Amino acid sequence: MDYTTSELLAVLLSREVRDDEISACGALSQIPAAGLLLAQAMHAPNAELIILGSIFNPFRTSRQFHYLAQRGELGLFFASGVQIDRHGNYNLHQLGPDIARPQMRFPGGYGGGMIYYGARRTVVFRTEHTVRSLVEHVDYISAAGSTPPDVLRHGNPSKAITPKANFRFEKDAGVLRLDTVHPGYTLDDIRDSTGFDLGVNGAVTVTPAPTAEELQVLRQVIRTKMIDTGTYAEWARKSLGAMM
Amino acid sequence: MGVPYVPIVGLVGTDLLKRRDDMIIAVDPFDGKTKSVVAKALRPDVAVFHAQAADRQGNVSCGYEADVVILAEASKHVIVTVERVVDQLTEKEAKGAFIPAIHVDALVHAPFGAHPGGCAGIYAPDKVHMREYVVASKDDASFEAYLRKYVREVKDHQQYIEQFVPPEMRKPTLAVVS
Repeated sequence: MDYTTSELLAVLLSREVRDDEISACGALSQIPAAGLLLAQAMHAPNAELIILGSIFNPFRTSRQFHYLAQRGELGLFFASGVQIDRHGNYNLHQLGPDIARPQMRFPGGYGGGMIYYGARRTVVFRTEHTVRSLVEHVDYISAAGSTPPDVLRHGNPSKAITPKANFRFEKDAGVLRLDTVHPGYTLDDIRDSTGFDLGVNGAVTVTPAPTAEELQVLRQVIRTKMIDTGTYAEWARKSLGAMM
Repeated sequence: MGVPYVPIVGLVGTDLLKRRDDMIIAVDPFDGKTKSVVAKALRPDVAVFHAQAADRQGNVSCGYEADVVILAEASKHVIVTVERVVDQLTEKEAKGAFIPAIHVDALVHAPFGAHPGGCAGIYAPDKVHMREYVVASKDDASFEAYLRKYVREVKDHQQYIEQFVPPEMRKPTLAVVS
């Protein structure tokens, strides 16, 4: 079955959502927004969703969302970054070896560095899986994968998800390890396009492909819902169901 | 707000923390061992922000932009520009968040004062202007030209509205949640 990268990622993210939990994504997060809505339509009917910048947000102010995360009541958050490293750090701020002289600056601010510690689980995703996006050390740590045990922290990175593979974060070792490889890619493909050691020996499992049902609900129910509610409507129109 | 500092779960191990001298890692004074970041509170001398409506005493209705309530509470002086001035505004009449006059030093009647940004419930951001702003901000010369056109060579606010707020924006629109 054919699907786009956006559809694949939306399906993979949706599988991370648990029923009866509060799951959220930030502003400018069309793929996670689709994933959250898909999860609610599929396996998590009682999931509470927060899609910042949309009507799916019970809050009026960013302070209210901030303190929800500070209390540890946020079950799952979807984050992205320009770089993700083996240690579970991600970079939303800037590129270049010298921190004082960034070669490129991104909008990253404070939010990610707070939610990564406040949310029980954070799934970091990236739409590009290459040696420049998945690196040994990020150029700038916007949010750290691990912290010393005496630091107050409610949650940890859970997974990193790309168009080619899923990685799981091992808290004790403080590293990402390859978990599953998406259909159509080999272990060598992943090794060649990842800037760090995958932490595996031997065969790895294949990620279950998006099912016909997942794709159908995403392309029809969720697409319509996003358009009707003005939730990344232009993106949904263009990106969901384009291959049908 | 107006407290001396605020504890935060997060930021430990980030480069952001390394570069900020107003945030440090501190031990919980109650349990004596758990660590978290504390941020020194901002105490602005003057805050200036735009809101939906206010009365002549300075009671402000700020709609969905409720984060300005914290800003008003934290700042020594507060200047509010508003879309509409009404005779009397109590918390009951306020749409969304309410700032009592005790926080407010000065009030300015400035319709479309948020332009090219939006004013929730009254008008949406001017996307065309925003794009122009983004393009202009790429280098100093083009930004200087932007400032000349929209700020320095504009006589007053009325002229700005007539010249730069698109006529279709001046009609009442449906509530816009931003």
